[in-house]
Amino acid sequence: MKQTEGKIGIREYTAIIMLSVGTKLTDDTPTVLFNSAKNSAWISLILIALLSIVPIWFLVKVFSVHQDKNLHDLNVYLFGKVLGHIISVGMLAFGFSALVLDSAIYVDIISSMYFTKTPSIAIYVVLVIVCGYGAKRGLQHIGSTAWLTLFYLKITLLFALAFAFYKGNTKLIFPLWGPGYWEIVKTAGSKMSIFADFYYLGIIAPMIDSFKSFKKGAFVAFAVVVPEILLALMIYVMLFDFTSIEVISYPFHEMILYISIGFLTNVETFFLPFWLVAAFVRFAFYFYLVLILFGAIFKIKEYEYLVPVISILVIFLGVFPKSAAFTIPGLREWMLTILSPMFFLLPCFMWLIAKVRGDFKNETSAQKN
Amino acid sequence: MKHQLKKIKLLLALPFLIILTGCWDQTGLDDQVFVIGIGMDKAEEKGKINITYLIANPEVGSSTQASANNEEAMMTVTIQASDFISMRNNANSVIAREISYDLLRVILVSEELAKEEEFIRYLYTSEKDREIKRNVHLVVTKEKAEEFFKKNSPKFLSRPHKFYENMIGRAIQVGIVPNSELHQFFRITEEDANAFLAIYATSDIEKEKNKYRISENDAVAGNVKIKGETNNSQFLGAAVFLEGKMIGKMTGVENRIVMLLNDTSDVSDILTVVPDPFDEDYQLTVRITKRQNTEVVMDVNSKPPRIHATLPLTIDVLTDPSMSNPVEDKEKIEEVKKSFERFLEEKAMKVVTKTQEEFKVEPFGWSLYARKEFKTLREYMDFDWMKTYPDMKIDVDINLRFGKFGKQPKTPSYEGIRD
Amino acid sequence: MFKLLKKISGRKKKGKSIQSNNTLDEQKNKRDQSISQNIDDNIDFIKSIYQFPDNRDVKFREFKVGGSNKRVAIIFISSITDVRTIEDSSIRPLLENKEPNLDIKGIISTQNVTIFPNMKDVVSNINTGNAVIFLEDDSNAYVFECANFQGRAVEKAENEVIIKGSKEALTEKVVVNLSLIRKRIKNEALMAESVTISERSQNEIYILYVRNLADDQLVDNIKNRLKNLDVDSIQNLALLEQYIEERRMSLFPSLLYSERPDRAAAFLEDGHVVLLMDNSPDALILPATFWSFFHTPEDHYLRFVFGNFARIIRIVAMFITIFISAIYVAVTSFHSEMIPADLLLAIAGSREKVPFPVFFEIILMEAAFELIREAGLRVPNPMGPTIGIVGALVLGQAAVEANIISPIVIIVVALSGLTSFTISDISLQFALRIIRFLFIAAAGIFGIFGMTALFVMGIFYLVSLKSFGVPFLAPMSPHYVSSGDTIFRRVITNENFRPGYLKPDDLKKKGDGATK
Repeated sequence: MKQTEGKIGIREYTAIIMLSVGTKLTDDTPTVLFNSAKNSAWISLILIALLSIVPIWFLVKVFSVHQDKNLHDLNVYLFGKVLGHIISVGMLAFGFSALVLDSAIYVDIISSMYFTKTPSIAIYVVLVIVCGYGAKRGLQHIGSTAWLTLFYLKITLLFALAFAFYKGNTKLIFPLWGPGYWEIVKTAGSKMSIFADFYYLGIIAPMIDSFKSFKKGAFVAFAVVVPEILLALMIYVMLFDFTSIEVISYPFHEMILYISIGFLTNVETFFLPFWLVAAFVRFAFYFYLVLILFGAIFKIKEYEYLVPVISILVIFLGVFPKSAAFTIPGLREWMLTILSPMFFLLPCFMWLIAKVRGDFKNETSAQKN
Repeated sequence: MKHQLKKIKLLLALPFLIILTGCWDQTGLDDQVFVIGIGMDKAEEKGKINITYLIANPEVGSSTQASANNEEAMMTVTIQASDFISMRNNANSVIAREISYDLLRVILVSEELAKEEEFIRYLYTSEKDREIKRNVHLVVTKEKAEEFFKKNSPKFLSRPHKFYENMIGRAIQVGIVPNSELHQFFRITEEDANAFLAIYATSDIEKEKNKYRISENDAVAGNVKIKGETNNSQFLGAAVFLEGKMIGKMTGVENRIVMLLNDTSDVSDILTVVPDPFDEDYQLTVRITKRQNTEVVMDVNSKPPRIHATLPLTIDVLTDPSMSNPVEDKEKIEEVKKSFERFLEEKAMKVVTKTQEEFKVEPFGWSLYARKEFKTLREYMDFDWMKTYPDMKIDVDINLRFGKFGKQPKTPSYEGIRD
Repeated sequence: MFKLLKKISGRKKKGKSIQSNNTLDEQKNKRDQSISQNIDDNIDFIKSIYQFPDNRDVKFREFKVGGSNKRVAIIFISSITDVRTIEDSSIRPLLENKEPNLDIKGIISTQNVTIFPNMKDVVSNINTGNAVIFLEDDSNAYVFECANFQGRAVEKAENEVIIKGSKEALTEKVVVNLSLIRKRIKNEALMAESVTISERSQNEIYILYVRNLADDQLVDNIKNRLKNLDVDSIQNLALLEQYIEERRMSLFPSLLYSERPDRAAAFLEDGHVVLLMDNSPDALILPATFWSFFHTPEDHYLRFVFGNFARIIRIVAMFITIFISAIYVAVTSFHSEMIPADLLLAIAGSREKVPFPVFFEIILMEAAFELIREAGLRVPNPMGPTIGIVGALVLGQAAVEANIISPIVIIVVALSGLTSFTISDISLQFALRIIRFLFIAAAGIFGIFGMTALFVMGIFYLVSLKSFGVPFLAPMSPHYVSSGDTIFRRVITNENFRPGYLKPDDLKKKGDGATK
């Protein structure tokens, strides 16, 4: 009933987060964790989740007193004009490289696992056209699409995981502490940016119908996504063991290649479309974030016209690396490592500055509105 | 309006795009031949192997529309190649269409090649090819794989994929062969703690009479005597692989015991014979089912490490040839139970000692239980399961329970009828 | 070359349209006159407007009233009036009247007699089937209702057939339609306002809504749109639909077109607006969502479980009709590994002698099916079934035997054709049929990847559609308070909200059952 033009409700908002963070378990994010934390990657993930609550909580706290500002406005407001812009541009750079690198990985998955003979540029073009179209349509429509498809995507994912669990062996989880406590903690510290998406949510904060939805949606989505990835990480280990898990580049796809359901021996093509829908929604959202952040920083009102430019840029940069299979995952891991401390510290700083400036004194009155 | 019309025209032009682009991954079903089995044999040249394709003819036995009744249901092609992937093109010199591994069911390896150090190099190429799925079964043949394909001619299941699917599926259920998916092969080989068991098969049946085994208990493929006009190949027993290299064989019965002890297997229908404790001339037929997972207690810190495995079994006694009617008498049942337990434990221990002494590696999957005893991977690696295994002290206990005694538990006494 | 041709043809069209404009203005100006005292002038004027002797069904009856001996003229168009009424309630009483003072209103015994001082109104009344009386030495015209347009009686619904529930269908007479709807909603709050929407043919449209349910803004919005129309003539609602919809190029309809009065009534009670019109045996219901095209009234007439079962069947059918051909193309030419071995070999075996690639084979067969369908629709009635049998059986069987088509393709195409009939709304049916071809094309280029890309784009497009401000997929997304009647329906006693996206004045719908 409270639907207002251009704003999205809690359902759509939560669905977007669940899809854009949830699909991470299907790309090479698990491999990044497995590389250093081996079969105890899931313990690392629990640590990451616990650690991530801190910045997310601070972020929500800061937004509770600045409900009408988006992340860029807030950066400028809190850090001053110069530093705020630098931080926003830095965020844009990371957001854009995440879009490029992640989409390059998805294209690599599609072209190495499913369409081996199709040139990857063709796949890339289709992917970017769909996502660009979605981004141009706007947040509302991305949200609606996410919400409409969410249920079916999660159900099929659960199905795949359940069948894999049935095929796997629970004892392969042991030895519990894998490569040792220190390695686990180190992995958690350096790879905690896999939840950095939550930080970027600040960009769309004023577009959600109420602050309550923003807060509740973020935590609900977090509470769903963490167990989901956790389960997936454990099931991958149960299925492939700590030795194979390091050499497999995309465990989710290897998993759906291996499982069989009843009389259907090869079911990967059954799961493929569902995974693709999630991927399209995810990149449409990333695309949209980059667009709107770009628009906010450079004061461009009609950012829809940027879609073709960014599309071409993404394709060009994504296809550019000479051999995607080697360079892209390396770059991605590197980016995750750099982003981790930023993701942890920035919200803390924001909260601290807001506190010093005395923004929280008005908190009670702000929440009443 | 005008540019909208243009849009429509553009849309109408879209289908033509397909004619322009439509190759890439597109391959019509009628442009492919489907490989059901791949055979690997040793070649004279180093770095190469002889690869045999078993190709199904889709026109035979699949549809009434296809009218190639006089064609064979399958054919085999053998070519020397360096791996599975390059073989796809090599084979095109004799096969007219693109080769597809979509229906690949088995990979056959001759015993000769399986015993080579090099073998694993060739097999690992299969992991690179996305069409070779991880649920393909690995079968070791006594003769050359090429020969096996040629000689194997099942009477009823003339379509090869059906034959291999059903043959292997049933044999695994009964427990006379292990479940030898490639996935397990890679996992176990990479883990480097256990032995992998592959299906053992042959079409090379012993001709000389004295080579037949007296009891089917000690048989592997090739030395069971079967008369009649059935298929001339046998799937029985297991080939033991250590670090990707074949090191020995197990009989069908030994395999069954391994399968019972190993929790990962899905053997579900075991009928076997046990000596009758009341009359040594006869044997009782029993059905053995596993009640729950094997209970394994181990002490890795003692020297030598100790393993105590308890196997909970339910036994249905299906025959009573001595007609001694144990059902009626509690003491008799106790006696039967004790004798069964003793018999099975003896058998199991025999297998365990065989693995300890002959193979020096265990196929029971006990290393998985051991993992729980260690905190980190490093500790586990340092323990070196494979090295320690032959010296371990191992006990196998059978915890037996009786189920049914056939459809009709009581039999009239032998004396009663014969007087 | 083509440009030149276009230019020439374009120029011609322009020239014509300018000419025709003049006549309408002329006609309008001519009518704009007041009635004169002289009865002969009036009669001559009407005669000249109707070009009297040429226009055969315009009747003039002149006589003197019995008592006052004044001249009277009764004018009407005989083909659209009830001549009996004219005779019985005007001509006879006038002739037999013996009073010296003539009081027309007192003599004529119809429901109402209206007085007009203007020729314009007189003419438009004659056009709508009323009779006009001119009186000697009187500058007013007396008009009484006696219209009798010919039309069908109320018949059974033919396009939206249901088993359980009312069988009546709307007819071409708007009065009858109104009566059918008022029969279902006996409430003074049901409004039936009328607006004239075209200039030449003077087509009139009825806007129906329930006053204290429908959102005023919505009603105003619709009225405005109708008033803004500037057209010569709109013959019926099917044409009107295209004039007032927002996206004329869109694949999806945004107004619901139904021939069932019970359906119109049900939507009215939820706060929708219904348009009725003469010459249209249908009602136009707006705003419409995707779900209203997908539902049938029977879903609610059937009990909860049965209704939902029908819904499941229909949603499955919808997916089959869109996807099955495309999936067949994608799977056989890109993802053959997912087909079970036996089926794969069967398809490969049966395709051995077929000369075309799968994509072309499917397109060929789908096109053939569309041809059969279109031909079956257009052939004269007695031949219809024959065409169907010849088309489906003979063509299919012969094509298989001639090795042009593999038998599995026949199954696939037949299934996709058959399932498309489960959607009763013709607009949605067309949309699905066209979308099917798009998906086949996508599958032909990129397999499942292409299909999914198109699907996601389709969803993006679908959620961005709006019908009179209502999102096309509401209330599923964006979410609104409603009775949750989307893919499935709830138990009837739990459907106690009117759809929130209409912003109805009264959101809560009473619906408690007799037993709790």
